[in-house]
Amino acid sequence: MKISKKIVLIGHFGVGKSSLIRRFVEDTFTEDYKVTIGVHVLKKEVKLPETDKDITLVIWDLEGNDDITNTRPSYLIGTNGFLYVFDLTRPATYEKLSNDLDYISERFPKTPIKVIGNKKDLVTNEFIKQNKEVFGRFVDFYTSAKSGKNVEDVFTNLAKALIK
Amino acid sequence: MTQDDKLKILKDILLKDEHEYASSIEIKLKKLEELITQQNNLSKHIDPILEDKLDEFIKEMPQTIGPTITKTLKEEIKNSQDEVVEALYPIMGKMIKRYVQKEIQILSENINRSMSNAFSFKNIFRKFRSKKSGVSEGDLLIQDQFKPNIEQIMVIESGSGLIVSEYSKTNNIDQDTVAGMLTAIKSFAEDAFVTDIQNLEYIEYENYHVHLQNFSKYYIAVAISGAFTATFRSKLEDKLLDFAQNIINKTDLNNSEQFSSKLKSFFQNENF
Repeated sequence: MKISKKIVLIGHFGVGKSSLIRRFVEDTFTEDYKVTIGVHVLKKEVKLPETDKDITLVIWDLEGNDDITNTRPSYLIGTNGFLYVFDLTRPATYEKLSNDLDYISERFPKTPIKVIGNKKDLVTNEFIKQNKEVFGRFVDFYTSAKSGKNVEDVFTNLAKALIK
Repeated sequence: MTQDDKLKILKDILLKDEHEYASSIEIKLKKLEELITQQNNLSKHIDPILEDKLDEFIKEMPQTIGPTITKTLKEEIKNSQDEVVEALYPIMGKMIKRYVQKEIQILSENINRSMSNAFSFKNIFRKFRSKKSGVSEGDLLIQDQFKPNIEQIMVIESGSGLIVSEYSKTNNIDQDTVAGMLTAIKSFAEDAFVTDIQNLEYIEYENYHVHLQNFSKYYIAVAISGAFTATFRSKLEDKLLDFAQNIINKTDLNNSEQFSSKLKSFFQNENF
């Protein structure tokens, strides 16, 4: 039987949501920044050999929003898993991380959320250590859409969490 | 030794270096003359330089001259719109004419084929329909050519946009992505009109009409080719309501295979 799950990526403008999806779905990357307007839907099948199940991830790439409360609520209905993406190089994109995660959890208490610090290629491990107060508490994955680091793992990990 | 001889020896001693220098210049001039006057010699030296410069020019041409050409062309087109229309009209006109001719030819062939089977069941039925409805047989024939055709039916979960079930004769679209995008468009349109509870019910995409019928937990999207008439729409709505009320039950929503099997058996031989 075919299993399909809806994944929604949220976060501020320009944090690399579309780039992460493009890297995961097409294994490509471009430096050209094209802003997402509204929503873009893509899909990819993920094989999970441990569970002997294939899962189709229908990925909703929402337009960036500096204030999560402005995200169109109807786009979030029926979401099976959230990926909250922020930009490691721009503090403004993770300053309200705790509040934003609370906002999602209150509305979707049973839906798993994975927090991603993207653009890892632009910061050092030292920088991450210095900011472990924030990052250590919340971040599940440090990714780089540019190099592809951890991108596959993020989606596979979420897929596993969804079929438990 | 005479006075002149002594003077000559003195001259030789004093001007020896100048003589040698003059001779070397004379030799170099001769070589240069040979180089310039003989084409083969000259091209051997100049060709590689010219080739390099030419390659460089070709590479840089789009950046250096491109914007100027584009700007000039834009200005020319803007300032001479009538001339551009005049130049393009015969080409566009011919293309449109050829397309219309081809489509009319196909239509004419189809009508002829239908007419040639004078004693077929379809023809007799059409004659009967014509007499009963008062619509001429020719009009009915043309209507038949543009008959609406169901290409794909998708049952989509409201909100999530995930496919619950689908039935397709052609199977030429990515159902998961299309269902997601349809749901996103629907959500956007329905959010935008905040004054009343309304649903997006129809989308047109090139040759396809997408009819959307909403139910509480899901909605059904039907892609139709051909003429999407009000009569067909009304029949389709009734049929979908009948399907939702009498054919499926709550458990089917959680069993995609069972739902699809019911959907297929209900619609595969359906003739509106």
